[in-house]
Amino acid sequence: LGACRVSMSMTEVRAGFTAIKANIQSRDPIRTLSILSHPHSLHKVKSSDRCCITHQLFTFYVDKVFKHCRTEDSFVNRKISSIANSFLSARRKLGQCHEQNKCVCGEESTEKFKQILANYEGLNVTSAAMKSLGELDILLDWMEKSR
Amino acid sequence: GDVLLPAPQSISILSTNMKHFLTWSPVIVQGATVRYSVEFQGEYEREYANGSWIPISECSLTTATVCNITEDISATVAYKLRVRAELGATRSPWGTTKGFFSRAMTSLTPPVLRVVADGHHVLVELADMGPSFQFHVLYWKKGQESRVQQKVVKEVSSVVHLDTMEAGAEYCVKARAHVEAINRSSSFSPTQCVRAQGDTSVWL
Repeated sequence: LGACRVSMSMTEVRAGFTAIKANIQSRDPIRTLSILSHPHSLHKVKSSDRCCITHQLFTFYVDKVFKHCRTEDSFVNRKISSIANSFLSARRKLGQCHEQNKCVCGEESTEKFKQILANYEGLNVTSAAMKSLGELDILLDWMEKSR
Repeated sequence: GDVLLPAPQSISILSTNMKHFLTWSPVIVQGATVRYSVEFQGEYEREYANGSWIPISECSLTTATVCNITEDISATVAYKLRVRAELGATRSPWGTTKGFFSRAMTSLTPPVLRVVADGHHVLVELADMGPSFQFHVLYWKKGQESRVQQKVVKEVSSVVHLDTMEAGAEYCVKARAHVEAINRSSSFSPTQCVRAQGDTSVWL
């Protein structure tokens, strides 16, 4: 992510998400809306803003999303915990980069993140959290493509 | 009357090569089969989910006194584990690990390898240590210890070709395991050397 080097085992996070993706997405009744991709895809974010939007999105998932995704299914809860703790670990390193000015936020990433928050707050919290979790592969695809 | 069950004691985590096991001492009740249930808590649960605990279903109501927690210790953060005894409807208090456990604390053993001289080629075969592992293989011509070469092996699916040997020369190899997720390596394996077959054939 530019000057900021963060090692997160994408394989582990991807495997954890793939194991629960169908279950999570089945809990999202509103398929016509997107939290991460509306109105513009993450792929439109400039490379210079990539680190900052990643940091903001990890903070978004840690602070707002995972806690509202607890289910009655122990297997799903364990995988969500695995992803949440991986995001927490990576977010810490991104935060260190941010403090060292290696993860600067430009206007574009700030605007993009505002839009994501607006999409999120446009739904009730549980639907918004489940939808956001169900869209995790959008984030993972974008992160892997922009490595 | 109802049996008073004590919390399991001597709770500890054994972790080698990124495989993590929780163990504890059995709770003895004469003539009865005591069962145990295990739960874990990551840093996320402590900091953002009201200190919640998550049950490990494979170790719910188990009679064993060991639980494979590898699948759940899947991020490089600090975890806590707890276990309680159960006998019918009676449950003991939780016994919780003292301090935290992070997978970065796992002990790493040197890889097992087999070096083969196949004609003029030095080949190395590495025993699989699991998905988290890659290997740093060092190799050099005996007597030229200052000209060590390194090859990073990310998958151990097949034999790895290291070098083409000069006839009659001896080549030495050693390797260590590396885990990217915790950014740590094992110590090196013992060095193994092989000699290339002398080239006795003469071209006429």
